[in-house]
Amino acid sequence: MRVEYINPFVEAAFNVLKEVLNTEVKRGELYLKSTSQPVMGVAALVGLAGNVEGRVLFDMSFDTALAVASDMNGEKLEKLDDLAKATITELANMITAQAVTKLHELGFTFDLTPPAIFTGENMEVTDSEVEALIVPMVLPQGKIEINVAVRERL
Amino acid sequence: MGTEYLNNTVQQTEQEAVETIDFKMVTFSLAGKDYSIDIMKVKEISHANTFTFVPNALPFVKGVYNLRGDIISIIDLRIMFNLPAPENTDKRQENLIILRLDDYQLGVVVDSIDKVIGINSINIQPPHPIFGDINIKFIQGVVENEGRLYLILDVEKIFGQDEDFVIMGAPTKTEQVYSDKRDTYSGPDTSPGKDQAIDFIIDTLRTFKKFIVSPVNREWVNRRFEEWIKIKGSKTADLQLQSESDADEFLSGFYSPGTGRFWDDTLRNSFLSLLPDFGRNTVSVWNPGCGTGYETYSLAVALRQKYKGASIKVWASDNDLLSISNAPNLVFKRESLPESMEQYTVEQPTGLQFTDDLKDLILFEYHDVMHPNSFLEVDIIVARDIISFMNENDQKRLVKEFEEKLRPGGVLVVGRNEKLEGREWKYIGNDYVTAYIREVI
Repeated sequence: MRVEYINPFVEAAFNVLKEVLNTEVKRGELYLKSTSQPVMGVAALVGLAGNVEGRVLFDMSFDTALAVASDMNGEKLEKLDDLAKATITELANMITAQAVTKLHELGFTFDLTPPAIFTGENMEVTDSEVEALIVPMVLPQGKIEINVAVRERL
Repeated sequence: MGTEYLNNTVQQTEQEAVETIDFKMVTFSLAGKDYSIDIMKVKEISHANTFTFVPNALPFVKGVYNLRGDIISIIDLRIMFNLPAPENTDKRQENLIILRLDDYQLGVVVDSIDKVIGINSINIQPPHPIFGDINIKFIQGVVENEGRLYLILDVEKIFGQDEDFVIMGAPTKTEQVYSDKRDTYSGPDTSPGKDQAIDFIIDTLRTFKKFIVSPVNREWVNRRFEEWIKIKGSKTADLQLQSESDADEFLSGFYSPGTGRFWDDTLRNSFLSLLPDFGRNTVSVWNPGCGTGYETYSLAVALRQKYKGASIKVWASDNDLLSISNAPNLVFKRESLPESMEQYTVEQPTGLQFTDDLKDLILFEYHDVMHPNSFLEVDIIVARDIISFMNENDQKRLVKEFEEKLRPGGVLVVGRNEKLEGREWKYIGNDYVTAYIREVI
């Protein structure tokens, strides 16, 4: 993971979460992972293409997703319905877009794919030949792990 | 000649040591009290936190553990001796002393491991019958060192297979125990030999510096051990590495020239003299373990000078986020830079930096070398002093990875004091640089 890419993602995630949820956000320790990783229950995925190729995954549990969606909508949502899923998708979009904007300013250009959301139990994600950077964000609603796996186009 | 000399030195030092120190022990604590074990029984110190549970075992058996291929039993001494043992709820690493008994190995969990102490066995006092916590027949004696009293545990008695495990039994007759023991610790086997001394150094290097002795660096370690005897002198106790700073001192000569700073002209020329003309328009380089980037920039300047027309691409990686974060915009002082590199620098508001032209040759990545990477074949790999700091399996995997990623005829630079074996690596080093050409076999 190119060093220059790390900060934009961390900063974007921190700023957006803080702003839309209006709450305290704590950044966990960053680390690298390469093997298959379990996904907590709700995963929003945004693909990247351009100078780099890869994807960003926003991973959280059902309860965290519900709590975040409820807070963003200003009403208590009882289950992960279309509205809740659309809210999480939008959150993923906002964070990735802000990160990509910051990267554009640094001279790296790439495009985003429309976000997709996966829900279910016992899921895992495997990236072949790319290691993932994990940025854990701790909120009162729970933990969101931002999992960035990109590589340079050779 | 080397080994003969070594043997003589060891014998001499040991003879002198008998006058003063003839018994060495590893000290540790259980429930806040000091204990020790004869160093001859200790194979190594280790840390671990997950043991495989064995059903129906005695309560003090924590389970079994895989120590580099050997399955050994793990005993919790605190439970065995009825001392309070804190629940390890947060899965922190337990301190383990691996014992080498007559014909098997065994790991014991203790609260904390202190250090190695050398004493004279004359000073060992017999245990007193009123010792409460631990059955007296398991105590070899008591000794005082720097104001602290250490109970020396008799591990053969405790774990001896023909002995019943009597944990809370009444003390036996002290006289008998004492006279038994007398012979044991005045015997000649109490002066650890050369093998024990070097084995213990190998273990402590692993613990303190994560430096793993393997065929890659064994030659240097042996040479350094010989020197170490000359420096540290007569007492075998003084040979042991008792702290991180001792380990640093032992390793001080290991690191390659120019580590952590810019390469001087001698080093750069020594490096360049080993590089062939690849006859291609692009020269690609992989520089794992680049740290804060001093090595990478030196490398980029050197290659720019040698391969004038070619396009140069250096992938530098490190798994230390803090070090590598600063590398792309490294700021440095003019004094730290050799004059020959000055033409590649530019004064920025934050300080002196390298020019964008030079920086564009380099791509810094936060990357763990044990993870997959997307590099295509490279011409040069510069990986100085990183193989020695991984466990033996990872060392093998990494060398294999280097072989896969390096083009035939490409050059692999390892640490000054590291060594590769195998027909695929042809040595081409000099006084400053150890390098190999990848042969096609």
